[in-house]
Amino acid sequence: MTRADRILIFIVVSALPFLYTRMWAGNTDAGYLQIQAGNNAPITEALSPDRTLHIHGPLGDSVIEVNNGRARFVSSPCRGQICVQTGWLQTSGDLAACLPNRISLTLLGQHPRFDAINF
Amino acid sequence: MRCIRLLDVLLLTAVLTGCSNTGTVFQDRFFALGTLIEVSIYGVDPALATRASAQIEQDLLTMHSNWHAWQPGALSITNEQLATLKPFTPDPAVLPLLQEAGRLSQLSNGLFNPAIGKLIALWGFHDNALPIGSIPDSNAITALVQQAPGVNNVTFTGTQLVNHNPAVSYDLGAFAKGYAIDRTIERLREFGIQNAIVNAGGDLRAIGQHGDRPWRIGIRHPRQKGILASIELAGDASVFTSGDYERFFEVDGKRYHHIIDPRSGWPANKTTSVTVIHDNAAMADAASTALFVAGPDDWIEIARNMHIELVMLIDTDGIIHMTPAMQSRISLEPDTDAEIRLSKPAS
Repeated sequence: MTRADRILIFIVVSALPFLYTRMWAGNTDAGYLQIQAGNNAPITEALSPDRTLHIHGPLGDSVIEVNNGRARFVSSPCRGQICVQTGWLQTSGDLAACLPNRISLTLLGQHPRFDAINF
Repeated sequence: MRCIRLLDVLLLTAVLTGCSNTGTVFQDRFFALGTLIEVSIYGVDPALATRASAQIEQDLLTMHSNWHAWQPGALSITNEQLATLKPFTPDPAVLPLLQEAGRLSQLSNGLFNPAIGKLIALWGFHDNALPIGSIPDSNAITALVQQAPGVNNVTFTGTQLVNHNPAVSYDLGAFAKGYAIDRTIERLREFGIQNAIVNAGGDLRAIGQHGDRPWRIGIRHPRQKGILASIELAGDASVFTSGDYERFFEVDGKRYHHIIDPRSGWPANKTTSVTVIHDNAAMADAASTALFVAGPDDWIEIARNMHIELVMLIDTDGIIHMTPAMQSRISLEPDTDAEIRLSKPAS
């Protein structure tokens, strides 16, 4: 076994934990934000850089904050404010919706832990 | 030789990444039935999935229009006709729905009661926008409860109905979503789709599976951020949860939610959430409401009446009540430290 062989084996063995977590272990890191406004085509937004988005719905503008790979409703012109109270979405599959203003936020990733969430 | 070794590494990497292929899932989201609908379809041509999803979006919009008790449509017209206390023939779009809702109401000993629309409206939960800080007049609640509206007050003769109780008004909010999901699954099958999930605002039915593995469903914790439990579904199963966190308002720190106990006229107050798994979504929908109302003392009896085997109820003390069958199907999250009480298996 040459020195180059040992280096190659070292590289492969070192990469296995990374590849395992990346490919099989249910990586829940969110990749991007999908915004559904009414029944229009969904809007896809990156989770960086940090910024504020204004999305128009039938009641007015919902304000969405993207910060440090997370997203949330900052404000929405609805009565219940359930969307705002949901807080930060940070894991793939997390969802918040303002039903009166017909706007939803979903974090999507390549390897979500679940295919659907029941609540 | 070094080139061959390098090739080995590249092949290994290719195998590793190739094994991670999760298959193709088409996903679509839209608003219908007053909630967010999520359609996931596995393993078919995207053009077919797109057509199927567009069709069920249209179907659900039509159902919503027909079945909404408080907006102009077939059900609101039916309620107007019921109020006359005279025989009439309802729109065919609502007749089978009323018959099935009546059957399930009787199985639930009236704890799922689709005839208490006036109570729902009194609390303000009929509106898409939540009521804020307004508890109804208790005398008005008592007056409606004493009139005891129920499905037994409505007589079906063929396609004709006659109502004998002026307090009866249908609100199918605890049932129509499940019934609608069942119709969408039928529609997907007409398109030749055998592997899919239709999720309507957190209540869902899953058919088939995700490629070579079951569908993985997370059940959200009713009081904390994150997941309480998970379940794998393969074949055909509906997962419905009724919770006090879905639609509510608070007055002086007390929560008033949308699941009204027809016996008292007030929100059922011993339960936080009930999750039911059943192959029929309409049954799962009605049962989750009935068992929520039944509460930790009576849910076992009602579940047996309704032939529901998979139930998880969380009471207001955070205790998890389950059937043994449910315990064997779901996986609670490792950090769950709640007390678990199992019902005795049905004899």
